Amino acid sequence: MFGYFVRRVVALIPTLFGVSVAVFLLLHLVPGDPARMVAGLDATEADLVLIRQDLGLDKSLPEQYLTWLNNLLHGNMGKSTRSRNPVTYEIGLRMPATWQLTAVSITIAVVIGMVTGIVAATRRNSVWDYGSMVAALLGICTPSFWLGLMLMLIFAVQLHWFPTSGRGDWRHLVLPGFTLGAGAAAIIARVTRSSLLEVLNQDYIRTATAKGLRPATVIYRHALKNALIPVVTVVGLEFGYLLAGAVITETVFAYPGIGRLLVDSIGFRDFPVVQGILLILATQFVLINLVVDLIYAWLDPRIHYGNA
Amino acid sequence: MANSPTRLSRRSFLRLAGLSAGAAALAACAPAATPAPAAPPAATQAPAATQAPAATKPAAPTAAPPPAQPKQIVVAQYADVVSLDPQDTNDNASYGPEKLMFEGLVGFNEKMEMVPQLAERWEASADATTFTFYLRKGVKFHDGTPFNAEAVKYNFDRVTNPDNKLKRYGLYKIIAKTEVVNEYTVKFTTSEPFGAMIATFAHPAGGIVSPAAAKQGAEAPAFGKKPVGTGPYKFVEWVPGDHLTVEKFADYWNPDQGAKVDRFIIKPVPEAGTRINMLLAGDAQFINTVPYAQVKQLKGNPNVAIAENEAIYTFWVAMNTQKEPFKDKRVRQALNYAIDKQAIIDSVLAGYGKPVDSPLAPRVWGYKSVKTYPYDLKKAKELLAQAGVSGFKTTLWAAESTEAKQVAVALQAQLKEVGFDVEVVTMEAATLSAERFKKFEENKSMMNYAGWSPSTGDADWGLRPLLAKESWPPASFNLAFWDNPEFDAQIKAGLQTADPEKRKAAYAKAQEIVMEEAPWIFLWVNQVLGGISTKCEGMVIQPDGIAYLRTGRYK
Repeated sequence: MFGYFVRRVVALIPTLFGVSVAVFLLLHLVPGDPARMVAGLDATEADLVLIRQDLGLDKSLPEQYLTWLNNLLHGNMGKSTRSRNPVTYEIGLRMPATWQLTAVSITIAVVIGMVTGIVAATRRNSVWDYGSMVAALLGICTPSFWLGLMLMLIFAVQLHWFPTSGRGDWRHLVLPGFTLGAGAAAIIARVTRSSLLEVLNQDYIRTATAKGLRPATVIYRHALKNALIPVVTVVGLEFGYLLAGAVITETVFAYPGIGRLLVDSIGFRDFPVVQGILLILATQFVLINLVVDLIYAWLDPRIHYGNA
Repeated sequence: MANSPTRLSRRSFLRLAGLSAGAAALAACAPAATPAPAAPPAATQAPAATQAPAATKPAAPTAAPPPAQPKQIVVAQYADVVSLDPQDTNDNASYGPEKLMFEGLVGFNEKMEMVPQLAERWEASADATTFTFYLRKGVKFHDGTPFNAEAVKYNFDRVTNPDNKLKRYGLYKIIAKTEVVNEYTVKFTTSEPFGAMIATFAHPAGGIVSPAAAKQGAEAPAFGKKPVGTGPYKFVEWVPGDHLTVEKFADYWNPDQGAKVDRFIIKPVPEAGTRINMLLAGDAQFINTVPYAQVKQLKGNPNVAIAENEAIYTFWVAMNTQKEPFKDKRVRQALNYAIDKQAIIDSVLAGYGKPVDSPLAPRVWGYKSVKTYPYDLKKAKELLAQAGVSGFKTTLWAAESTEAKQVAVALQAQLKEVGFDVEVVTMEAATLSAERFKKFEENKSMMNYAGWSPSTGDADWGLRPLLAKESWPPASFNLAFWDNPEFDAQIKAGLQTADPEKRKAAYAKAQEIVMEEAPWIFLWVNQVLGGISTKCEGMVIQPDGIAYLRTGRYK
C-alpha cells in the first residue's frame, strides 16, 4: 500500500513536466503581447523596450522555458507581469479562499446529492423520484452565472440574509457555495440513485430483507456502502473540477479566489501566474485522484494496490 | 431613511422577528452606517433599547446599542487595482483609488478642468522648454515628511530614470533636467519644446510620492503596495483581489477638500450585475461602472441614482487609408454619411451620447467644433458612385465586449445600405491589441472600431497618438495609417510653443483637416455612468474614465 502511494506520487513528476511544457507552449501560441498588456495602449516604444527586457521576452522561446523551469526547480515560480509580485505570493493569497469555497460547496453537493439520490432510489417511480430527478436535471442545466445572480437578487438584495459578494465570515460562503455546489449535487444525486438501484436489485439485499432486517438497516448498512464506489469517483472528479472551475462563481460573487486570478491573468497574458496556477491545479487533481483510489480500497476490500 | 416602507418591513420581519415594529425599524437602520450628523448612532438607538423589554422575545444582541460605526463608503469597481504607485500605473482601475491618496502639482477636477494642487502657480517659457512651478507651503506627506522642491525633484528624477522600470517612464522622459530653485520653487527643462507639458503634469501619473517612503522600497513594486502621498486619504491595507482600505488623513493641507468620511473601501467586482446588486442591497455606495444595457435596473429605484458625466472619449471607426478603397477621401466621407449615429446611440448606448463634430471630445483642451457628417444615404451613394466603388467586401475589427459587438453589428447593417459587405471580426482584448499593433506590412486591419480618451486632457494626446505619421503601429495607435503632412505640421506647431492661443489655433486647424479628410468614421462622445446610493453624493466617474471619489460623503 505504501509502495503504491510512493509510486503514484513519483508518477506525478512526469505528469507535471508534461503539463508544464504543454502549458508553456500553448500560452506562447496564443496571440497577444504580454509587454503590450503591461505597457498599456498609450505607452511609448521606449516603455515597451524596457518592459520586454524586464520580462525576459527578448529571449528565444526555449531559453525562456529553460529559465522558467530552472527557477521552478528551485522553488521559484517567477514574478507576475501584472503586479510584479512573486507568483507564489499571488497564488498563496488566493488559494485558501478557493479551498474554503470548494470545501463548502462539495459538502453542500454531497449532502444534497446523496440525500436526493437515496430518496429517489428508495422511492423509485414515485413523485419523490421524478421530482428529485427533474430537480437534478435542472441543477445540471442551470448556468452558474444565472443561478448566482438570481440567488444574490433574492437572498441578498431582497431578503438581506446574506451579503451580496466578497469574502468575510461564513455568511459570505453560503450563496457562492450553493451556486458552485448545485451542478455537482445534481450529478451526485443521479449517480447515487442509479448505483443504489443496481445494488438494491441484487440477491444479498433480497436475503437481508427476507431475514427481517429493518429497511433502513438494509439500505444504509448493506446497500449504500456497496453503491458508493461510483459516487466516490464522481465526488473526486467534481472536487477537482470545483477547485479549478470556480472561475464563474468567483467572478459573479467577486470572491478573491484562484479561478478569478486565472481568468484575469489569461486576459492580461500574465504567463508566469497562469503557468503557476495550472501546475498547482494539475497537482491537486492528481492527488485527489490518488485519494479516491485509496478510498476504493477501503470501501471494497477486494481492491488491492499492493503489487500493482 | 431612504428605504422604501415595504422593503424595510420585510427586512425587519425576517431579521428581527419578535421585536416590536418600532424597535425593529430603528435597529434595521443602524448597521447601514447612518449619516445623521446631528444625532449620533448611540442616541438613535436608545429608544430601541428601552422598548426591547416590551417585546415578546427579548433578543439581547440586537437590542443592545451598537458601538458608533465609522462612516465609510464602499466602492465596487470593475477591476482590481494593479499598483498604487502613480508613476508605475497605466490603468484607470488603479488611478481612481490613487487619486484619494495622491495629488500632482496640478490636477483635474471632475469636469476635467485643470486645477492647481500642490503648485500654487506656474509659468512656462515661450519656447515651451522650461516650466517653473511655485509650490504650496505647509503640505505634509502621510508619513509626516514635508513636501518641497526637493521632493518634486526626487519624483521626476525617479520616473525619468529607466533603471527604475516605472511604467510612466515614456510619459515623462522628455524632462531632461529638474532643478530646485529654492525650497518652494522647482524648474523643469525638457529636451525639446513640448507645449503640452503642463497637462502632462496633470496626468494622474504625475501624483507626487513621498521620497522617504519611495526610497525605503528600493524597487517600485514595494512602494506600489504601501503608497504614501499628500492626499486627503492615507493608505491602510490592500489585499489583492479582495479590497483596498484608505482612511482619513488628519493633517491634510486643504480643509475644504479634506476627507468627508472616515474610510473608503474599494472592492474589485468584475461582474456588472453583481455591482448593481451590491448597490441595491446597500453593500456598496458607489459602483464603477454601470453598463448602458443595465441602466434600466437602477432607474426608478428611489435608493440609487445614476451618476453620469460627459466623457472625453471619442469613438470612431478607423479606415486603413493606405489600402483600397479607403485611399479615396470620397469613399471615407461617404461612409461617414452612411452611418446613422443617433440611431446607434439610442439603441446601444441607451441614449447616453452625442455625435462628435471633431476628433476630440468637447471637454478636451483645444477642442473645436468643426462639423458633423449628417446621416444622408443619398449623398453617401453619390460620393461612392463618383469614386467608382460598389459592392466592396471588407472586415471590421472590434473588441469582444457586448457593447462593441452591438455597435459593430449595427455598423455592418448600415454599411450594407451603401453596398459595403462588412464582416465583423471580434477579438478578445489582448489578441485584438496584438493584431492592431502589428507594423504596417503585417497589419491586416481594414476597419477598426475603437475609442480613445487623452489622459492629459490635452489636444496633443487626443490627436498625435491616433493620427500622426509617427504614430503608425507599432509605435502608437494610428489605426488608419493616416499620413497627412499638413496635419503633422499643425501637431508639431502645437508643441513648439507654450502660448495657449497659438496652441489652440494650431489644433483648430488640425481638427479641421481631420474632419475634412475623414480618416475615420466619426461616431460619438459618450457619457460615463456610475451608480450611487442616494444617501451619498460627491462621487462620479471622471470624463477620462477614472473614478473621482475624494469628495464622496454622506448627505
